[in-house]
Amino acid sequence: MPIPVKPDNSVVTTCAYCGVGCGFKAETHEGRVVRMVPWKEGKANHGHSCVKGRFAFDYYAHPDRIRTPMIRASIDEPWQEVDWPTAFAHAASELHRLQDTYGRGSVGAVSSSRCTNEEIFLMQKFARVALRNNNIDNCSRICHSPTQFGLSATLGAGAASQHFDSVLQADVVLVVGANPTEGHPVFGSMMKRAVRRGAKLLVIDPRRTETVDSPHCRAEVHLALRPGTNVLVLNSVAHVVVTERLYDEEFVRARCDWDDFQLWMGLVGDERYSPEVVGPEAGLDPEDIRRLARIYASGPKSTIYYGLGVTEHSQGSTGVMCLGNLTMACGMVGREGVGVNPLRGQGNVQGGSCLGSWPHMLTGYRFVTDPEVRGSFEAEWRIELDSEPGLRLPNMFDAATAGTFKGIYIQGEDPVQSDPNRHHVEAALRSMECVIVQDLYLSETAKFAHVFLPGSSSLEKDGTFTNAERRVSMVRQVVEPLGGLADWQITVGLMNAMGYECHYDHPSEILDEIARTSPAYSGMSFEKIEKLGSVQWPCNTDAPEGTEVLHTVQFPRGKGSFMLTQYVPTRERTDDQYPLLLTTGRILSQYNVGTQTRRTANLAWHDEDVLEISAGDAAARGLATGDRARISSRYGSTELTVRISERVNPGIVYTTFHFAHTMVNNLTSNLDDWATNCPEYKVTAVDVVKAAAHAGVGS
Amino acid sequence: MSFIDTERLVTMANQIGDFFAPYPHARRVEGVRNHLRNYWDPRMREAFFEYLDATGGPDVHEHVKEAAALVRADTAPVRAYAGPPKQLDATS
Repeated sequence: MPIPVKPDNSVVTTCAYCGVGCGFKAETHEGRVVRMVPWKEGKANHGHSCVKGRFAFDYYAHPDRIRTPMIRASIDEPWQEVDWPTAFAHAASELHRLQDTYGRGSVGAVSSSRCTNEEIFLMQKFARVALRNNNIDNCSRICHSPTQFGLSATLGAGAASQHFDSVLQADVVLVVGANPTEGHPVFGSMMKRAVRRGAKLLVIDPRRTETVDSPHCRAEVHLALRPGTNVLVLNSVAHVVVTERLYDEEFVRARCDWDDFQLWMGLVGDERYSPEVVGPEAGLDPEDIRRLARIYASGPKSTIYYGLGVTEHSQGSTGVMCLGNLTMACGMVGREGVGVNPLRGQGNVQGGSCLGSWPHMLTGYRFVTDPEVRGSFEAEWRIELDSEPGLRLPNMFDAATAGTFKGIYIQGEDPVQSDPNRHHVEAALRSMECVIVQDLYLSETAKFAHVFLPGSSSLEKDGTFTNAERRVSMVRQVVEPLGGLADWQITVGLMNAMGYECHYDHPSEILDEIARTSPAYSGMSFEKIEKLGSVQWPCNTDAPEGTEVLHTVQFPRGKGSFMLTQYVPTRERTDDQYPLLLTTGRILSQYNVGTQTRRTANLAWHDEDVLEISAGDAAARGLATGDRARISSRYGSTELTVRISERVNPGIVYTTFHFAHTMVNNLTSNLDDWATNCPEYKVTAVDVVKAAAHAGVGS
Repeated sequence: MSFIDTERLVTMANQIGDFFAPYPHARRVEGVRNHLRNYWDPRMREAFFEYLDATGGPDVHEHVKEAAALVRADTAPVRAYAGPPKQLDATS
């Protein structure tokens, strides 16, 4: 094959890596993808790309791909290859057996943000009409579920208020708990462009990331706070806004609930949140907190972008509310160049949140306990729905270890590698009698599975993704599904085997069903998205071509709501035995737990997770760059290679979580967000010592 | 056998209570009630109530216990909602 290969076909589609959702032209030669070319017409990326979307596509054809369904009676037995009808019949029979034996609520399902909107919608439909319960969750449970909760509570919509291009009109960009130059590089480049044009950059993050200081991009103020003190520091920023009367009273009186605003002022205006009190506890100079607050409030156009450094805490939802409060208090919402925007980790996390893959909500963030909402779905699906909330994924695992939850259908997720407290997750899965895994490879979770259904990558199916700016874009089939079926077809097959008859000729029919049942998507169709290129929700009769900026006239509930965000310190504390705080993040060339990118040449850029540690902490432990260190927490231990770094302050260590063998989630606790059970990945007390010469990795 | 480990449920309930603690008393209780009623699986609620019945909940915040009593009575006149806890009165 000549290099470069001349393609014989091309298809425009959407990247499935991060929440930017870049448009690409996927070029093929003799039925195999040979090149991903950034698409200039892509409204999220305008022809830009990162090294993941551009180069890390070979994973789809990796020899590890499983192409045939498999079943086994126990996890100690070898897999037996079967055909699709046999796999569906076996899985359905097992789920029925468990429900007959242990009750209807003893089984559940989890959807994936690597799958399309249509597939996520079908997964929650599967739980509700085939399992007949609300035990359905999605992977944003462990990343951005606090965004849905916190932004819904304050602004009334659990989604970004802006489109990406809005950042180019900002005068001030506040980045909180995110590192877009590595995690969301195409948006990161756009943000840097705004900074080069003169926008002031403010960063709240424990590490001195590339976002804080790199060529052409330097933060005016960087608050390198102690992990776990987000809410304390954000309340302190609010304290300055309130006590120095920097808030926009006209906006608040016109657009927000004034009584709750006054309650909020009373809380954050209290002396306990003054920078002079907060600074020492958070490891910050009080004057830096004041400077940041003044710059943000003075705008005139200030915008907020945040990531998992806000959400993955025991006060994750509270942290998101702090940002919503701040945005409203300063009148920084409802126009171009302002707003509050979550940077979503996976390609379709926003879709996962929108489309009812929650145990307590149907599509459009509407409660299952509301009879009118339920009724609209019962009319569409012609079946009575469970009126009570179901179990969240962490609570499914909790119930499994208690012996009361027995079966799970997991689509495109690997909780053994990605969820907190790996020992707990493994014990839960081991205690179940039927674990169904639908994935590309035999993942860590598949080791505990009884049924394996070979899934399809985003290159092998049609559908849509909703990116972090609420933009719904086409995912188009580039190559045939290697396992024979697209993910949506697998779920339909299982649904029929369970006894609920349903049929779709094409995913466009599923989006039509979404439009019939979901107000924000009511004006969407494949035809419209094809015609316009992409559409941002809400798309309805009021906004037939979609909506770039939310909250321009009023909030979804009418008035914006200030929430009281009292700081409650995490129970995860350092002590003599565990004197350092571990926090986690990601790197440019690898993606999430690395399932896909580790199976590509991107390994050349980053082939292991390393431990960043300050020079002082390293010297105190006799460690040098390149040494192996054993990291221990109250929950487990692992080994990593040391890198002495100026990016972390003394007392803080940092690593990524891209490699299965590293088992970083051995270390993390089972503490989680009060509102959503989103795990507290960002704060774990650890000790670090030089590794023994022949020690193993994880325990 | 508890549906879920009782200690876990008490921790979760108290965390919810901690969040709503700064609100005036009636709204503090209502916030916890709305959350327990509309976000928790009924088996989790039932296991929590059984614990309260059995022990009196010495480690559970008082306003969480008041909210639990309201959930059990199931007389709240409002539907599920997101956002700040409502100020309930006889006409709401």
